[in-house]
Amino acid sequence: MTSTNNSSPDALAIRLAELLAQCALRNQRAFALLYELTSAKLFGVALRILRRRDWAEEVLQECYVSVWNHAGDYAIQKSAPLTWMTSIVRNRSLDWLRRPQQEATGEEYDIAVEAWQDDAPGPLERLAASSEAAALERCLQQLDGKQRQSIMLAFFHGLSHSEVAGHMKQPLGTVKTWVRRGLERLKGCLQPGGA
Amino acid sequence: MASHKNPQLREKLASEYVIGTLRGRARARFQALLRYDPGLRQIVAEWEARLTPLAVAAGEIAPPTRVWRAVAQRIAGGATKGLAFWRGLAVTSTAFVLILAAFIGLAPRPEPPMAMVAVMSDDKGEPALVVSWPPMKAMRDPYVRIKVVQEHPVMAPGTTWEMWMLPRGKAAPVSMGLITIDADQTMRIKPTLAERMEGAYGMAMSVEPEGGSPTGAPTGPVIFKGQCVKIL
Repeated sequence: MTSTNNSSPDALAIRLAELLAQCALRNQRAFALLYELTSAKLFGVALRILRRRDWAEEVLQECYVSVWNHAGDYAIQKSAPLTWMTSIVRNRSLDWLRRPQQEATGEEYDIAVEAWQDDAPGPLERLAASSEAAALERCLQQLDGKQRQSIMLAFFHGLSHSEVAGHMKQPLGTVKTWVRRGLERLKGCLQPGGA
Repeated sequence: MASHKNPQLREKLASEYVIGTLRGRARARFQALLRYDPGLRQIVAEWEARLTPLAVAAGEIAPPTRVWRAVAQRIAGGATKGLAFWRGLAVTSTAFVLILAAFIGLAPRPEPPMAMVAVMSDDKGEPALVVSWPPMKAMRDPYVRIKVVQEHPVMAPGTTWEMWMLPRGKAAPVSMGLITIDADQTMRIKPTLAERMEGAYGMAMSVEPEGGSPTGAPTGPVIFKGQCVKIL
């Protein structure tokens, strides 16, 4: 029912949905397979936001226990399985960072961010696995450089508005505007019939 | 929280929540709002769907095996809970229910979301028909949807199929109506039956003479049956 030219992401989505259904029936072997198929992806997501392996491991563990416990609820979610699971990991990671004593220091995110520059090969180049991803890449490329960079720092590296402002050496209000306008344009571009 | 009814503000907060810039108390407050605002959850889900490809473009890094060991240990405890409810229903059809439910949720139709679903299987356990229905409360014209998912025996001339709702407990099957064609269809049901649909345990289809069962109970062979699952 989803429309995409590339069948493999859909095949994975159907496989993951089947496994989640089995998990709802308390099938531990299905759960092990689900873990095998998704844990490297999700660990990458958690590590990118948390920037510390021990934290990422702890969050990943919590997330999979949560997926196991709530697999039965998946049916009523209106998301693709990987989107559902990725959102659980992202939200847990962000909640983890919210704990005041866990605020990442500037040093850590500078190290993490150093590896990726706005115009260097990186995550944008990896965004070609599916038609949805290709559309997102195309739309990100259409944003102004500053808008794109601030969104990437926030979403991809998990930085707060003030951390993004610190990293880009720009006033907080300016960065907030870049993020907001960038997201608005992104939404418009991703809509059916968007540029 | 009147300000949270402003569509632009809702969109802005949802997008900031998803990209992660909504922090501290604002984030906690937003999460509290999400719990009882399905419309807001929908906006969030749309942003998640938009941005997930970017999130997973972080690249794959295999976690150490101690993570899996810890997870496996923690889930082992409650492994058999709730199995009794599912006994007797083929596992394949149940997987199918959940996938179908996901699709029903995704389908952009201007009709209410389905509240319950039953996959009716033949005697080999192969899914044949899927029956689903929206919340019956406050429905002026109650109906169930019937989807044919398998090629099945053509109806013999001079027969009809009669669908039965099997109530929870030991109550007798209740006739839902006759099916005269083996194709997808919408079946109107009586308001008195609609009231009982939430308590449906299973569905069954029997072969009956033209005009339906003469006795008010299934008389012919039961060709398909399946359990009902709440999905809303």
